[in-house]
Amino acid sequence: MDGVTITFYAFSTLIIIGAVMTITSRNAIGAVMSLVATFFGLAALYALLYAHFLAALQVLVYAGAIMVLFIFVVMVLNRDEIHPFSTRGWSSTFAWLVGVGSVLYLGVQLLSKLLNFTVSMSHQSGGAVLHRDAPPEDFGTVAAVGHLLFTDYLFAFEAVSILLLIAVIAAVVVARSHRSGAYEEPEAAVTESHGGHA
Amino acid sequence: MIPVENFLVLAAVLFCIGGLGVVLRKNVLIILMSVELMLNAANLTLLAFARAHHDQHAHAFAFLVIAVAAAEAAVGLSIVVGIFRTRRTVQVDELTLMKH
Amino acid sequence: MEEFPLHYIPLLPLAGAAFCLLFGKRVGKTITTAVALCSVFGSGLLVASAVRLLHESPVPLTDTFFSATWISAGDLQLSAGLTLDRLSSVLCMIVTGIGFLIHVYASGYMAHDEGYTRFFGYLNLFMGAMLILVLGDSMPVTFVGWEGVGLCSYLLIGFWYDKEANANAGRKAFVVNRIGDFGFLLAMAYLFSLTGTLKYAELPSHLQTLGQTAWWGLPAAFFFGILVLVGATGKSAQIPLYVWLPDAMAGPTPVSALIHAATMVTAGVYVCVRLHVAFEIFPLTLAIIAIIGALTALFAATIGVLQRDFKKVLAYSTVSQLGFMFVGVGSAINTPTSVTSNYQGAIFHLMTHAFFKAGLFLGAGSVMHALSGEGDITRMGGLRKHLPHTHATFLLCCLAIAGIIPLSGFWSKDAILGGAHAAMWLPKGTGGAEVFFAHHLGLILYLILLATAACTAFYMFRLYFLAFWGEFRGTDEELHHIHESPASMTGVLWVLAIGAVGVGFLGIPDVVSSGGNHFGEWLLPVVREQAAEESAREFWTLAVIALGASAAGIGLAAALYLHGFSDQVRAMAAAFPSVYKFVYNKYYIDEFYNAVIVQPLRWISLGLWKVVDSFFIDGTVRLVGGLTLVVGKVVRYAQTGDVHHYVAGMLAGAALVFGLSVQLGGCHGYKFAEAASVATPRLQRMPRREHVTPDNVPLLPAVPGNGLIR
Repeated sequence: MDGVTITFYAFSTLIIIGAVMTITSRNAIGAVMSLVATFFGLAALYALLYAHFLAALQVLVYAGAIMVLFIFVVMVLNRDEIHPFSTRGWSSTFAWLVGVGSVLYLGVQLLSKLLNFTVSMSHQSGGAVLHRDAPPEDFGTVAAVGHLLFTDYLFAFEAVSILLLIAVIAAVVVARSHRSGAYEEPEAAVTESHGGHA
Repeated sequence: MIPVENFLVLAAVLFCIGGLGVVLRKNVLIILMSVELMLNAANLTLLAFARAHHDQHAHAFAFLVIAVAAAEAAVGLSIVVGIFRTRRTVQVDELTLMKH
Repeated sequence: MEEFPLHYIPLLPLAGAAFCLLFGKRVGKTITTAVALCSVFGSGLLVASAVRLLHESPVPLTDTFFSATWISAGDLQLSAGLTLDRLSSVLCMIVTGIGFLIHVYASGYMAHDEGYTRFFGYLNLFMGAMLILVLGDSMPVTFVGWEGVGLCSYLLIGFWYDKEANANAGRKAFVVNRIGDFGFLLAMAYLFSLTGTLKYAELPSHLQTLGQTAWWGLPAAFFFGILVLVGATGKSAQIPLYVWLPDAMAGPTPVSALIHAATMVTAGVYVCVRLHVAFEIFPLTLAIIAIIGALTALFAATIGVLQRDFKKVLAYSTVSQLGFMFVGVGSAINTPTSVTSNYQGAIFHLMTHAFFKAGLFLGAGSVMHALSGEGDITRMGGLRKHLPHTHATFLLCCLAIAGIIPLSGFWSKDAILGGAHAAMWLPKGTGGAEVFFAHHLGLILYLILLATAACTAFYMFRLYFLAFWGEFRGTDEELHHIHESPASMTGVLWVLAIGAVGVGFLGIPDVVSSGGNHFGEWLLPVVREQAAEESAREFWTLAVIALGASAAGIGLAAALYLHGFSDQVRAMAAAFPSVYKFVYNKYYIDEFYNAVIVQPLRWISLGLWKVVDSFFIDGTVRLVGGLTLVVGKVVRYAQTGDVHHYVAGMLAGAALVFGLSVQLGGCHGYKFAEAASVATPRLQRMPRREHVTPDNVPLLPAVPGNGLIR
């Protein structure tokens, strides 16, 4: 057991515990905090995979920006749940079972296929396919990934930037009060904060 | 050196946990978070293979996935706020306006 | 072939029609009248200038304005052209000349009608369509005009459509005409399938083809002729399709005069003469035409004897006179060297008839105008004192139609009677049928026409005496209102009366005055003269017999009706009530058609409606709709509105697709890798740029793993 392996298992444990806590927590704030922990763990694993740039992005965008957004909304809307899992009526139970079954089936199938794939890759004639050695020096650095993004993926990059712009505008439009204007409607803010305290 | 299979197993488990969250929880916020979990599981798979093949193209994909996830979170959360404003709830089983 | 801008001739009235119908209401009656009259007058002037050219040389005038391809479908290449030869010039002159007169008359007659501008729009439309019919250089162009006049006839019969009887009469005319039109269409199709052309000018070069035997040992020309004849009987109101014309009198009187007496109803005669070369291939076709004409003439004349409605009498008279024309068309003389027929006589009678029948109808209109629309002759009488102009012109026209020398009707009717007398459809031979067609049939038809002529004289003078002589039989109030028509109407009446007297002199037979038959000469370039040259003695013998018949009819009418309905008339009606009723009710032909054709059609239609349409077709549609509803009712319970259910469904679907692709597509590891190895080169073929940094060091050194998947 070298240090890398220990690191991997430690962060894997963190990720799984965090994920499970995220989906089981009765309290939304707790769920968000667990999710932040999961994302940090994932960032660490990205770093293990030589994806340094993405590890940084994971911390900045996910654990930073997106989770702040979540917390903000949770603060506004949060209420503790008495029955966090939906089990109302036989049809809900049925959907519950179908959903859980499907998810597990998908997970197992995907896993088995991927593993199968890697195994077959490893046994390909003509030499090793999967590398166990360290990748080149600049693998996963900002310069290398940035170079890719601004050459081969320039179009996708620009498309995503436009998508983000649209998302920003859409978020403003959707979340805005549907009455004449948010600024002239103080009672809307009042009821919101009231809902938040309840 | 960690074998790539370890990462794949971890990603699959993460994906399942996210999927269960989507299916089981009633709170829209938790459901959105579970979706984020699933997206991250996909990202983890991408990066694991990138490392195994020494091919950085997957990094660009992962980058795009993160950007799209950010957009999704922004729009999704604003919808949640909008729904809460009119319906006073974020429980999906109470949001059954599309009922027959 | 000479060029002439013929297209302006129908185009002027059509433009007038468009103006009247679109803007008539807005610009008012005065401008509408001016436009309508001027357009007809303009096309009349064009016809006159074209006729002057034709007078110098008989070469037909053509108009290449429309000669581009009109209809193109497979082998069918049609150009729409107009042509004016000496035959169509006669029709054109009648249409524009009498049409113009009737326009003038209508401007007075319809002056107080609400639909004044609409009326003139339809009337101009009719003029345009009729001129297209006459000028068309091929059957399809003629057919356009043919349908156009049918449409106008329908519109004008039902002009006062707020009365149901009028609308029904219009519909009846339309439907009955449709049968004829169908015959005409079939004739076109048949001719095209045989010869590949529909142009009149090209017909003579295809006589060989038309003469070939088609079915039952009869030549194709026979069937073609019969189909054309079906069309002609529809348009020209011959047996068995004459029933619409008497009902057509529901329209305004100028319409009856123009469309249902002078012009449109003669279209059948015109088309038969136009296609005469096809008929001559098999002369027995002409015999059938003659027989139908003669029977119609007698049949309609006998009905006319007892009718009480002023215009109905004239309508049956029109049917009868059209029968005369058909006899003229059909009176063939078949010699071993050639076949000709009495076309000159038919067209000559068409022309004189246009004058005196238009005069009679317009006189009837004047009478009804004076009596506030009363058309029942049992409520008239003694009108000659109140309506002097109408009376005088009506008398002249009556004498003309009765065939009194030297009025126009005498000459034209005599031409037809003589033609029928001389006709022989087969060369003289020995066989049974040949003897009949060569010797007897002509004589039989002659006798029928003679009886018809007597009938005609009788019922026309019955009408004349009942309306203008004796004492007035209406109420005092009506008597008080009687007034002579305005000058625009009486003027037209006088012009037509003078025409009825005078146009006959154009066609005096050569035997009477040498070179007097201008009309026959005029038509010679189009149709050959009837072969038999009768002697002067023969002509006068026939003329005296015909005059005797007419005089007898007039005398009988005078004896019975000079002072209103005499006692003898009442006694006869009482003595033979069943005969009287039988004839008065027009031999119950309408009822017969109703029972034999209309009612079964109704039943079939009812069955189709109730069973096929309502049950099967509607049922199928309803079944589909109902199924959708039922399925929707069941399936909508899946729409719980709960997001979890949708998510579960989505995931289950994803699992199903994945599972199926594993099971069926064989998404096993080995193949998966194979697929990846196939797919990978594409990825690597993407242009790999030379990643060059400022210090010229590649950022991405060649990775050992690259390309190894292959």
